Amino acid sequence: MKIVATCSVVAALVIFGYLVAESKMLSYLSSEPEVCITCHTMNTHYATWQHSSHRAEATCVDCHLPQDSFTRKMVAKARDGFNHSKAMTFGTYGANLRISDDAASRIQENCIRCHESLVSQMVENAQRYSRTSSHVRGGRMCWDCHRGVPHGVTRNLSATQQNFVHN
Amino acid sequence: MKKSTIITVLSVAAIVPMLMLVFSIKEAKAVQNEINTTPEIAKLEPRAYEWGKNYPRQYGSYMQTKESSEIRDLLQENPALVIMWAGYGFSKDYNAPRGHFYILEDNINTLRTGAPVDMKTGPMPTACWACKSPDVPRLIDKMGENDFFTGKWARHGNEIVNPVGCADCHDSETMALTVTRDWLKRGLDAEGSRPFAEATHQDMRTLVCAQCHSEYYFKATKWTDSNGDEQVAKVVTFPWSEGTSAEDIEKYYDDRDFVDWTHKLSKTPMLKAQHPGYETFITGVHGQNGLACADCHMPYVREGGVKYSNHKVQSPLEDIANTCLNCHSGTEDEFTSTVERKLERKEELHRTAMSVLAKAHLEAAKAWELGATEEEMAPVLQDIRHGQWRWDYSIAAHGSFFHAPEETLRVLGSAINKGQDARIKLRIVLAKYDAADFEAPDFSTKEKAQVLAGMPYDQLVDEKKAFLDGLKQEWFAEGEEKGIYDPRSREGMELRTSYTE
Repeated sequence: MKIVATCSVVAALVIFGYLVAESKMLSYLSSEPEVCITCHTMNTHYATWQHSSHRAEATCVDCHLPQDSFTRKMVAKARDGFNHSKAMTFGTYGANLRISDDAASRIQENCIRCHESLVSQMVENAQRYSRTSSHVRGGRMCWDCHRGVPHGVTRNLSATQQNFVHN
Repeated sequence: MKKSTIITVLSVAAIVPMLMLVFSIKEAKAVQNEINTTPEIAKLEPRAYEWGKNYPRQYGSYMQTKESSEIRDLLQENPALVIMWAGYGFSKDYNAPRGHFYILEDNINTLRTGAPVDMKTGPMPTACWACKSPDVPRLIDKMGENDFFTGKWARHGNEIVNPVGCADCHDSETMALTVTRDWLKRGLDAEGSRPFAEATHQDMRTLVCAQCHSEYYFKATKWTDSNGDEQVAKVVTFPWSEGTSAEDIEKYYDDRDFVDWTHKLSKTPMLKAQHPGYETFITGVHGQNGLACADCHMPYVREGGVKYSNHKVQSPLEDIANTCLNCHSGTEDEFTSTVERKLERKEELHRTAMSVLAKAHLEAAKAWELGATEEEMAPVLQDIRHGQWRWDYSIAAHGSFFHAPEETLRVLGSAINKGQDARIKLRIVLAKYDAADFEAPDFSTKEKAQVLAGMPYDQLVDEKKAFLDGLKQEWFAEGEEKGIYDPRSREGMELRTSYTE
């Protein structure tokens, strides 16, 4: 039985090693936007960002992950990674991806973080006078009005058909 | 339970989900590959329609460059140009540029390329095709650069039959942007600060344009053909090894005693700037902030539920909403008037420079006529050479007034200064020969100026018309026989030139 046990451990390790290589797992530790197009599901989001003015200032993770603490950032990254792997493995995503509430509030935080000098008074006013029960700072999402920033309103997976992205 | 059994069970429990993941990743990669798979298109396929079958939006928008059909005769607008280019092709015919759809047509039709009667006649070298067609990289691939650049323009007439198109900028296997003109790579490497090997995707969105929208000259290059005969190729070369400013390139040409032509009136060893669009763009605020040509000239547009880069390469002012307003706030009217004001500023100095330089040429001609010596004229001619070069550098790429307004006005200022320096020196020479009050003759119309420049205009036009009805037609017919020419690329083409309108 010892041989079987050893073999199975070795097999597990080999498969794990293969998985690390095949999934480019370690690349997810970096902040390069190209990591996000390892799978095709983000091609449109990458292409639209690449054609927007935000490309000069902010990469994917600058907006989509919490930036106030390293721990929060890593926890969010791990949780997203798990959810994305699950969705990819079981094929439970559609062509029109919608952001989760949690991810939306992170992005809102990041909009405010970079554009603080412009919106700080707005945020303060909203906190004082807004009667919304929303959990989001300011009550409304920035992109409720700024609808095109930065991905544009057309961001279906089939929207950028001839955009060949190579990571 | 035995320890080994537990380990086995745990390992299997880990192996099963890991295998599931592996399979799912394989599947996702297959999908990714399928999405990134490009249709089969032959390497360097010159016919745009063959690509367009698979990329209808890009092709369709590219074909819309046909809309810029108007001919604007710039010699008519600025007769001083005829004087400034006397003895050189540009004094015969020079129009405002039209869209990519017309690039080959206009090159063939202009009086500058003359009226060859066979493969060996005509004033221009093969290099004049260099930027007009995807047939150029195809031919260079086939025959080698030196052979391509040897002989007269008419030599390749029946091979170069498609206007600039897909294969000029895209790799047929991956569709990625690619530089098909090695002279750009050599130029960048010689300049040194932005070697080609380090170009990013964003850089490529500028460099594919810089292949042609740059300053170049035809460098005489000796080579030996397969028969062992010595040949001289006129190879398109970017003069960037000293840098890319007007002064850097001026030094490059001076160091090599390079002369484009000797001026017919003033006898100046002249330089002709081509269109240093890239060189000026990189000094401006948009270039400095990492924008690419394609960001404004090929904006990302939405058509129904699909987005793509508009291949109707044109002025961003035609589509301010999708270009300027991506980054700037403001209204379209504000943008239009800001840009108009920039253009007026350039035009003001541009007109002054043309007037100064044209008069300098005519005054120099008078000085020669009165018997001035080469020694007396040498410093004058040097000033004229530099002044006209700088004027040309600053305006020849028509967008420089917007791309780099500061640099454009600075260089125009120095051109005026050089021109006036020449005229002060000329006044002294003229005074010496009792002509201190000489006034340059009237060159206020294209016709008057062409007479002053001693040009047999009507004869040139007659010969050209014979060429258009003869050899030009044969070239396209032969191209079609060879299977390299697609008549769709010229659908609806009307003969429009400055001399037939």
